[in-house]
Amino acid sequence: MTSQIVIDPITRIEGHSKITIHLDDAGEVTDAQFHVTQFRGFERIVQGRPIHEMPSIMARICGICPVSHLIASSKACDQILAVEPPPTGADLRRVMNLAQMVQSNALSFFHLSSPDLLFGFDADPAKRNIIGVAQANPQLARDGVGVRRFGQQIIEWLGGKRIHPAWVVPGGVDAPLAEETRDRILSTIPEAIAAIERALAWYKSSILQWEEEASTFGDFRSAFMGLVDQDGNIEYYDGSLRVMDADGHLLADRIDPRGYQDYLGEAVEPWSYLKSTYWKVLGYPDGVYRVGPLARLIVAGQAGTPRADIELDEFRRRLGRVPSSSFHYHYARLIDTLCAAERIEELLRGPDILSPRVRSFAGINSNEGIGVSEAPRGTLIHHYRVDDDGIVEWANLVIATGHNNLAMNRSVLQVAKRYVKSAHLEEPMLNRVEAVIRCFDPCLSCSTHALGEMPLQIQLIGPDGALLDELMR
Amino acid sequence: MTVPANLSSLANLGSLVVGYGNPLRSDDGIGWVIAGRVAADPRFAGIEVLQRHQLTPELALDVSRADLVVLVDARSGPPAGTIAVERVDPAGGTGTTWSHHLGPPNLVALARELYGRAPEVHVIGVGVASLEVGERLSPAVERVVDDVMDVIARLVHRTAAAEPQGVTGSSHA
Repeated sequence: MTSQIVIDPITRIEGHSKITIHLDDAGEVTDAQFHVTQFRGFERIVQGRPIHEMPSIMARICGICPVSHLIASSKACDQILAVEPPPTGADLRRVMNLAQMVQSNALSFFHLSSPDLLFGFDADPAKRNIIGVAQANPQLARDGVGVRRFGQQIIEWLGGKRIHPAWVVPGGVDAPLAEETRDRILSTIPEAIAAIERALAWYKSSILQWEEEASTFGDFRSAFMGLVDQDGNIEYYDGSLRVMDADGHLLADRIDPRGYQDYLGEAVEPWSYLKSTYWKVLGYPDGVYRVGPLARLIVAGQAGTPRADIELDEFRRRLGRVPSSSFHYHYARLIDTLCAAERIEELLRGPDILSPRVRSFAGINSNEGIGVSEAPRGTLIHHYRVDDDGIVEWANLVIATGHNNLAMNRSVLQVAKRYVKSAHLEEPMLNRVEAVIRCFDPCLSCSTHALGEMPLQIQLIGPDGALLDELMR
Repeated sequence: MTVPANLSSLANLGSLVVGYGNPLRSDDGIGWVIAGRVAADPRFAGIEVLQRHQLTPELALDVSRADLVVLVDARSGPPAGTIAVERVDPAGGTGTTWSHHLGPPNLVALARELYGRAPEVHVIGVGVASLEVGERLSPAVERVVDDVMDVIARLVHRTAAAEPQGVTGSSHA
């Protein structure tokens, strides 16, 4: 008799989902599926809207990473206007994108994942939250608050508000940077970097205790993809796509990301609203690749900033050139955050950062635009087609979580095979299935929910659809 | 108690007003409306005012730095326009399992755990008539905006005058 275990909903991620684990007659795991159960429909919602509305509409996709959509959307609009933002406008966009990287990475590491890392995956769920972290390791909790606040404040100071700022526009940004704002941001950077480095030190001192999880949390061979700059270092805003296989060989390099459709396929499964993106040469579903902080560190030659380069060297000494476990997203996320904070300082110390020339103006000069940038969770692609009046006729979004969808499914299967030992539902399995998804920090929408507000439900369902077992947390 | 027409700005120092909710959901934006009014009202000069979609851990630092915190939120359930004022008990905020947004007791508890200070915190909840998409308050909620402002003024004045502890339990205006 075959059975299913359903975990619904998954908690401490951005959005709504559930997991189904399929068992065979012997109670062994045969398959696992990560379902995204919410429907958004932004690609259809924007049809018929004028192009100048696109950045603001697209930013509403997410309340955690609106800036990422704002950046990619504005870049797509740049192409439709056939303009390049003035250099200062582009640099100011970079600063806001990096601030977004910092605050979102901080949310993932400190608020969502550090309770698991600090207390262990089998600790009482009532303890595994930031209050528990504050009581057990107040410095870690303070640093989490401080680092996220640092990123949020930069976004707010630049854009006027920390969620859905409208400062990034087609052609550049809406207003130049004031000297006072620049100096205010610069004054906060040393403490932010110190906090990130304290968290890194704590993580590295604790890493041995997670060896078991590192060997089972999505530990498999796959390709990795991310943007790199002209020197091959990490690039967050522009650059070219690089894809590296599990042995460190380049599958592709120097790809203009606007040609993404030549390389990436998008598959749709009936059991999820989340598309599965795959590397076309390897086909579906074998063309698994990963994006996000771990991928950025793997595909890049260096981070490109002094402190992050030192940390990346150590990361590679500890884990190898192409670490295969998705558990290492946590470690990579901290280095990624450090790199972003350093880049912010570099940009703000640029000689032209206060220039008043921050925006290019133009009408509709092209019927198609593709904007690509790195979001906290990985490479983000916005692709629009418009008519001659600039009315959107078609849109396609390739979101980082979609790139990682196949890898997340494979990771859930690996954890389930390791920890599901019978048709009975047990906490250790539940904790780890959830935690492996959290490694990827999937952002399924702007919706936010918390453990405790939405009950955690696991159902064991027989082949006839009857409920065999159920757990509620 | 009598509320002075003009609170001295000095008396307002150390007070924080946070209006939170979704300003695109009609009455859920009452917190934002009140925060905007406080920021523009000379009676409240010196008060720090924040507008937020939800309470997040990052607010713990702001809370810890204040002597008085007033949180303004929408409430579904009570009759539209009802104003309820509750003193937050931080002891109620340690046993929950939230992640990245939290309730008032959690916020106060976090401020205490991380920064060693848990100030006097009140939540002003306003009963809503509509949570539909929209940027305007319903007439029933719009009518009590001035009443909410007066409640805040009383709380600020009471704290500044160092009179006995603020409003406790629940009251209705």
